[in-house]
Amino acid sequence: MTAVFALPPHVPPPGTAALRSEIRSFIAANLPAGDAVSRANSWSVADAGFSRALGAAGWLGMVWPRAWGGHERPAMDRYVVLEELLAAGAPVGAHWIADRQTGPLLLRYGTDAQRQKYLPGMARGEVYACIGLSEPGAGSDLAAVRSRAEKVPGGWRINGQKLWTSGAHRAHAMLALLRSEAGSERGAGLSQFLIDLDTPGITIRPVINLTGEHDFNELFFDDVMVGDDALVGGQGNGWAQVTAELALERSGPERYLSSHALLVTLIDAARASGSENAALRATIGKLVAELWTLRQMSMATAAKLAGGEDPVVEAAIVKDLGNDFEQRLPLAVQAVLDLDLDGSTELVRVLSHLLQVSPSFSLRGGTREILRGIIARGLGLR
Amino acid sequence: MSELRAQVVATAQALFAAAPDWPAIVAAGFPLLLVPESAGGFGGDWGDAFAVLQVAGAEALAQPLAEAMLAAHLIARAGVVAPHGLVTIGSGGGTIRAGKFTGHVAAVPWGRVAAQVVATIETNAAEPVLLLLPAGAVTEGASPAGEPRDRLDYRGVPAVRLGDADHALYGAFLRVGQSAGALGAALGLATAHVNARVQFGKPLAKLQAVQQSLAVLAEEVAAVQMAGAAAAAALDRSGGAYEMMAAKLRTNMAIHRGVALAHQVHGAIGFTQDYPLHRLTRRLMGWRSDFGGDSWAEMLGEQALSERGAGLWADMVRRGDG
Repeated sequence: MTAVFALPPHVPPPGTAALRSEIRSFIAANLPAGDAVSRANSWSVADAGFSRALGAAGWLGMVWPRAWGGHERPAMDRYVVLEELLAAGAPVGAHWIADRQTGPLLLRYGTDAQRQKYLPGMARGEVYACIGLSEPGAGSDLAAVRSRAEKVPGGWRINGQKLWTSGAHRAHAMLALLRSEAGSERGAGLSQFLIDLDTPGITIRPVINLTGEHDFNELFFDDVMVGDDALVGGQGNGWAQVTAELALERSGPERYLSSHALLVTLIDAARASGSENAALRATIGKLVAELWTLRQMSMATAAKLAGGEDPVVEAAIVKDLGNDFEQRLPLAVQAVLDLDLDGSTELVRVLSHLLQVSPSFSLRGGTREILRGIIARGLGLR
Repeated sequence: MSELRAQVVATAQALFAAAPDWPAIVAAGFPLLLVPESAGGFGGDWGDAFAVLQVAGAEALAQPLAEAMLAAHLIARAGVVAPHGLVTIGSGGGTIRAGKFTGHVAAVPWGRVAAQVVATIETNAAEPVLLLLPAGAVTEGASPAGEPRDRLDYRGVPAVRLGDADHALYGAFLRVGQSAGALGAALGLATAHVNARVQFGKPLAKLQAVQQSLAVLAEEVAAVQMAGAAAAAALDRSGGAYEMMAAKLRTNMAIHRGVALAHQVHGAIGFTQDYPLHRLTRRLMGWRSDFGGDSWAEMLGEQALSERGAGLWADMVRRGDG
């Protein structure tokens, strides 16, 4: 018998229900009015006011040390808070990257000076970060990055271009993967730098997505000068650090709860219109079965990560299954209800939105093909 | 895994791999796994049962262990003294007059060799009843894998009432356990095959299309194993109906997707009587229909539609929170 996912189910500890009702009260009191389209976009919708309110209430930087503005809570407490925010469709996009991966990377690899500079602001929901990985010639093939950092007296000179950078236009800093050793190839000679985006020589331009929204950006480094203190972790250790960062990026509940608002809206609409039928009931039942299973897998994976292990294969499995589930969700609604897609109801609006954007779910954060390659490696096939 | 469970699993692996006959399985005590020690059983929990059933599924054990395990559990739960001989499970319909049953039980696994049957019986009453019945008049039938699925007919036989419980969901859980093991074993066969089989001058495993197919199969195995383990954990906490329904539905999806992929990478070699893949996949495909099949989806969906959309999430997480 072959197992690539031999994880025990995570049993939420006593007190979880109380924690859940606490964050639900916060959400009830602070969730801005918005329609289901916004809720179905949860972690892409930036609302600095909501992020600051979360920070003030202690729901950001939850697991970080108090010395850096954190709250020293267990990692699985943070998981509960995340799943409640996502299930409610809260606008968590502004702080999402900083809280999920940039902050934790600084805690693992940064200097005390870097932690002091960024973490307290991130935990307050005031300092935002973006991911500096993809480039025009380096998408799935991340090791092909060409943007470079040249050592100069007192710091580094940076030139190059990043692309598909979500939220760069509202972020304060980018954690960029750069080639710090001239002539190096592939994963060798790469380093991570945390770069303030108001540094002279940086140009950020929007890349408008297919629905007309501004989420992506392209970002140019033109002789950008940063100090030695911008280097995060070991010089030349960038590839290993990015691998760790991607496990953080792929293991969260956002990989199956992105479009939960559609399921909620579908149930409400069916109840209101009396359009319940056997096919609808069966469709919803199967979706619930998948959702429940994905949640169990996601929790087990997060618990492994919280235990200090690196669930690279498990995270890839959860993300790929979650993406597939969320891409079938709008199709399942189309299969059981004949709807005029004219924007006239909330259900139709959120469905129309997801029909357009759901193909991106298996692109962002690692393509389906890359994830399956990781799983195949776990099976010993590569 | 507890030490006790690890021991039970190791014993099961050694025994089931040797294609044991039924007396050997009885002698090892496996049918009494879910019977409390106070009733002369092994006192295992649902997690133990899930672990053992996975081994049975992986080894394509052609014996009614899952059925006997559940029957013994239901009998012990009702406080009835366990009968001798094989007790299997089934569902049927009929009438009960003065403690005598007239009717039938359909598609009973190993019905022809069973001494007794624990059967959920539909009568004119609103709720079905759970009866312990003796052997009946046998009409032989077979599952897609060629295992006995026999109709048993009765005319005025004494029946012991075990309660009102419908065992079907527990039966569904048994199939989840067996499926988790069988699909995992199919992944094992597929992985070994693509590593060994050379085409285009290299092992199939080096072809990216094949790698991606096996990755998807591995995902489905992961989903079934997680769903089964989580349903077992829910049963051991108390309750578990929702989780068993969800696990069976997810398992049915995984079999649909996984069996096709396991066969696809094997090509014609996997389609022979000699090659062991069919011992897993024919059973898996049949288990999709056992104990409710996809019909649980309507019930789970109805439950979701009984409250506002936001209630779906609240209801799901409430079940696990301490």
